[in-house]
Amino acid sequence: MSSRVLALAILLFWGLDAHAQAPRKEVAPRDSMRELVMAPIVVSATRSEKTLQDVAVPTTVVSAETMRRQGAVRLGEVLASVPGLALFDDHGTGIQVQGFAPDYTLILIDGEPVIGRTAGTLDLDRISIQGIERVELVRGPSSSLYGSEALAGVVNLITSPPAEGVEGGIGLRAGSHGTTDMTAEAGAGGPGGSGFRVMLNRYSSAGYDLTPATYGPTTPSFADYTTDLRARTTWGRSTLRLGGRLAFQDQESAFALQDTRYDDTGSRLDWSLHPELETRLNPRLRLTTTLYGAGYRTKTRQLRQSDDAIYYSDDFDQRYQKAEAQLDAFWNTRHLTMISAGGALETLGGNRYALDGDQPETRHVFGFVQHEWLPGRRLEASASVRFDAHSDYASRLSPKLAILFRPTEAVRLRMSAGSGFKAPAFRQLYLAFSNAAAGYSVFGASRLEEGIARLEAEGQIAQLFLDPSTLDAIRAERSMALNMGGSITLSDAFELTFNGFYNDVHDLIETQPVAQKTNGQFVYGYFNISRLYTRGIESEAVFRPHAGRARVELAAGYQFLQARDRAVLDRLSTGDVFGRDPDGREYALAVRDYGGLFGRSPHSATLRAAVDYAPLGLGLSLRGRWRSRYGYRDLDGNQIANRDDEFVPAYPLFDATATKTIPLGPRTRLAIQAGVENAFDITRPTLVPSLPGRRLFAGIRADF
Amino acid sequence: MRFPYTVRLVLLISLFVAACDSSDPDPDPVPITAVTATDIPADPTLIPPSGGPPVSTGRFTLYSLREERIVLASSEVDATVRQQDSVSTAWDIGLRGTTLIFNGGTSGPGEGAAQILAQPFADVLEATEAGYFADGDNTACPALETPAGPVPGTPYAVCSGSDNGWYNYNAPINLISPLAGRTIVLKTADGLYAKLRILNYYQGNPNPPDPALPGRYFTFEYLVQPDGSRTFETTTAE
Repeated sequence: MSSRVLALAILLFWGLDAHAQAPRKEVAPRDSMRELVMAPIVVSATRSEKTLQDVAVPTTVVSAETMRRQGAVRLGEVLASVPGLALFDDHGTGIQVQGFAPDYTLILIDGEPVIGRTAGTLDLDRISIQGIERVELVRGPSSSLYGSEALAGVVNLITSPPAEGVEGGIGLRAGSHGTTDMTAEAGAGGPGGSGFRVMLNRYSSAGYDLTPATYGPTTPSFADYTTDLRARTTWGRSTLRLGGRLAFQDQESAFALQDTRYDDTGSRLDWSLHPELETRLNPRLRLTTTLYGAGYRTKTRQLRQSDDAIYYSDDFDQRYQKAEAQLDAFWNTRHLTMISAGGALETLGGNRYALDGDQPETRHVFGFVQHEWLPGRRLEASASVRFDAHSDYASRLSPKLAILFRPTEAVRLRMSAGSGFKAPAFRQLYLAFSNAAAGYSVFGASRLEEGIARLEAEGQIAQLFLDPSTLDAIRAERSMALNMGGSITLSDAFELTFNGFYNDVHDLIETQPVAQKTNGQFVYGYFNISRLYTRGIESEAVFRPHAGRARVELAAGYQFLQARDRAVLDRLSTGDVFGRDPDGREYALAVRDYGGLFGRSPHSATLRAAVDYAPLGLGLSLRGRWRSRYGYRDLDGNQIANRDDEFVPAYPLFDATATKTIPLGPRTRLAIQAGVENAFDITRPTLVPSLPGRRLFAGIRADF
Repeated sequence: MRFPYTVRLVLLISLFVAACDSSDPDPDPVPITAVTATDIPADPTLIPPSGGPPVSTGRFTLYSLREERIVLASSEVDATVRQQDSVSTAWDIGLRGTTLIFNGGTSGPGEGAAQILAQPFADVLEATEAGYFADGDNTACPALETPAGPVPGTPYAVCSGSDNGWYNYNAPINLISPLAGRTIVLKTADGLYAKLRILNYYQGNPNPPDPALPGRYFTFEYLVQPDGSRTFETTTAE
C-alpha cells in the first residue's frame, strides 16, 4: 500500500475537514496564489473532495484570488474568462458549455441547485460572487450524480468556510452605465471549524441604450440585493452546516409599439435555505443528511403610459423542496462507495401554469450509487449510476464511468463516458395556452389530454390527428457523451490541458400539431423529436515563468466546436437544400456550408495574464477572448446559417484590471482597483445587445 | 472562296425572303429572358377602422404571366368584375397570402397546372414533361407533420404550409422566406410552359426579407415560353 494512495483516500473520506485546516488567506496572502495553483481541491466531479489533478473528468476551478484580481462581481464575468465557455444571451446571461444552450448546464451553490430559469436561461448576473471561495466547472454530463440539467456541465459555487477569529470586509465598486456594487461581509469562528459568515450585497445599474433612435433602453435599469449566511457548528462526531440566501431585484424599462409607449417593470425574489448534518457513524461510514428549500418568484408588468392600462402581465412562483441522505463508505484504501437517496417536491404558481388556482405539483424521487476504485498509484476509476423517477415524465437511468491514468508523474490521461439528461421544461409539461388573437392552442405534455377533451366538449375541434390518451409519457432530453483528454505538467512552470468531447443528444422536445380547430388553427403538443450532436476540442496551456519577485501566470486557451442538428444533416445529404445569395443566385448546399446551430462559434480562444508584484502590492490581470463568427438567423428559407448576412462577424474582447494592495496592519489591508472591460470598444448594436462597448470601473475594498 | 457579286446578291435576297416568310417551319430561335414582377399585392391585411387585429379579405389577386400584368387585384370589390375575371382564361396565377393557385382544375377554366422542382431557377432549362397537377388533383400535399404522420392538406398544385411548397415560416421571428432552390414549372391558362420563382413576400422587395414590413406583397421572377415548346432558353415565337 503506497502511502500516497492512503493519504488520498483519507483526504477523500475526511475531506470536508480540510476546510477547517486550510490556512487562512489573510494569514498567508503571499503564498495563496501558489497554493491554489498547486493543489486546488474540488468537490463537484465526484461529490467528494479531490485534488483537481486527480479527478477523472474535465474540471476547471476559478479561485477567489483570480476573481478578486479580475475585479469580477457577478458570476457571468467569472465564467466569460474560462476557456471554452461562451456567454449566451437569451432572457438573461447564460453560459454555453460544449456547445449547449444554457438550459443544459446545472448551476449549484454548495452543491444544491439554483432555481429560476426564464426561457431556459438562469441569469448568471443574478448571482453575486462575493463570499464565494471558488467556482468549479465540470464539463460533460454529470447526471449520474446530479440528475436533470447536468447534461452539458455543472457549475458549482463553493462558499468560503468560516475562519478562526473575527473577520470582515467592505467593498465598493462603481463603473460605466451607473453600475455600482457594494458589499459588506462579516464572520467569526472558533477553533474546530464552528463559525459563521454573513454577506450583504447591493448591485445596481442605470442600464444603457445602444439604439437611441428607438424609444426605450437596450437593457433596463435595476437594483439587486443579495444577503447570504453560512454557518457551521461541530460537536462530537457531527457537523451541522446552514446556508441561506435571499435576493431580490427591481428593474425598470420602457418600450414603444407603433408610437404607443409602455412602461415595463419587473421584480424578482429568490431565496434558498440549506441545512446539512454530517455524522461520522464509525471510522468507515459517514452519513450526510441534507434538506434544501428554494423559491423563485417574478412579477412582470407592462402598462400603457397614457392610461396605465395593462398590456402584459405575468406572475411566476416556483418552489422547490428536497431531502437527501448520502452515505459514504470507506471500505479500505482502495475502495470508496457513496450511496444516496432522496426526494423532491416542486410547485409552480403564477398565471401561466396554475390555471384556475390549480398549481402543478410534482414529485420526484432519486437515488444514486458511486464506487471509486484505486487499484494502484497509476489508475483510478469511478463508476456511478443514478435513477430518477418523476411524476410527469418518464424515469431515467443515468450511468457514468470515469478513468484516470497516470503513466508518469507528469502525465494524466482522463476518459469518461456517461449519460446526461434534462427534464422537460415547465412549459413543455404544464402550459395550457390559447392565443386569443391568432386562435391556436398549446398544451404541455401533462395537460394535453384534458386540454383536448375540454376543447372537444366545447365543439372547437374539427379534426383530431391522434388520440392523446394513447401517447407515452414524454421523456427527458438525453445524451450519451464521451470525454477524452489529459494534462501534461512540465515542471511547475508549464502545464497543458486538453479534452476532446462528443455529445450525442436524443429526444429534444419540440411542438407538433395534434388537432385542427374549427377556426382552422391548430392545437400543439410537445414531443420528443430532434437529435443533435456537439463535438470538439478544448485546451489550455498555462505558463508560469520565474520572474524574480514578481509572480507571472500566462494562459492561452482554444476551443474547436461543431454543434449540428441531425435533421439538417439528413436534409443536406438529399442534395435538395439550397442557399440564395442577396443577388438571387441559388446554389446547392453541402455539409461544409452548414454554419451549425445558431449562436455557436466553431473557434474560440482566450488569453489570460496575471502579474503580482508583492513588494509594491501591485496586481495586474489582463484577459482577452475571441470568438469566430456564429449564425443567428436564416434569410433564404433553408433554416440554416449559410450566407454571410446570417452570421454575427467574429469579434475580440479585452479586459484589464489593476490592483494596488496596501497593508494597514497585521491583518488589515486595503485594495484599490481600476479596470476596463471591452477595452477596444467593440459593439454590435442590433446583433449583440449585451455588448455595450467599453466600460470602466474603479473600486476599493478593505479587509480585516 | 469568293462568290461573284450577282451570286452574293441572290443569296442575300433569298435569305431576306426566307426570314420574312412567316410560314417557314424553322425560323431562327431567339433567347428569352426572365421578367420580374414586383410588389404584387396578395390580399394584404389591414387594421379595420374600428381597431383590433389586422384582417384580410380572402380575395385572390389574379395575374397574367403572358401579359405581365394584374388581371384582377385583391382590392377589387365589385362582385361582377371579380366573377367575370375569375372564370376567364386571362389569368395564369392567383396569389392570396401564402397560397398560390393556377388557372385550371378547381381554380379556373384554363389548362393551368404546376409542380415544384428542387432546382435553382437558372438551372431549369427545360420544363419537365410530366408530373403537373391541376389545383384539386395534388393528393401528395402534406399540410403538416404530426406525431401520427403527415396529414393531407389542400390538394393545390403547389402545396401550402411551411416547407411544403415555396416558403419557410420561421415562427420565432415571424418571417416568411422563399425556399432557395425551388422552381415552380407550370402551364399557363392556355397551355404554355413557364417557370417561376418567388423572391420576396414583403412590400418593397427588401433585401434581406424583413418581417417588420407589410407582408403579402409578392416579388417573383418568371419566364413564359410563348412558342409552346418546353425549352426555357430560346423561343421561335415572334
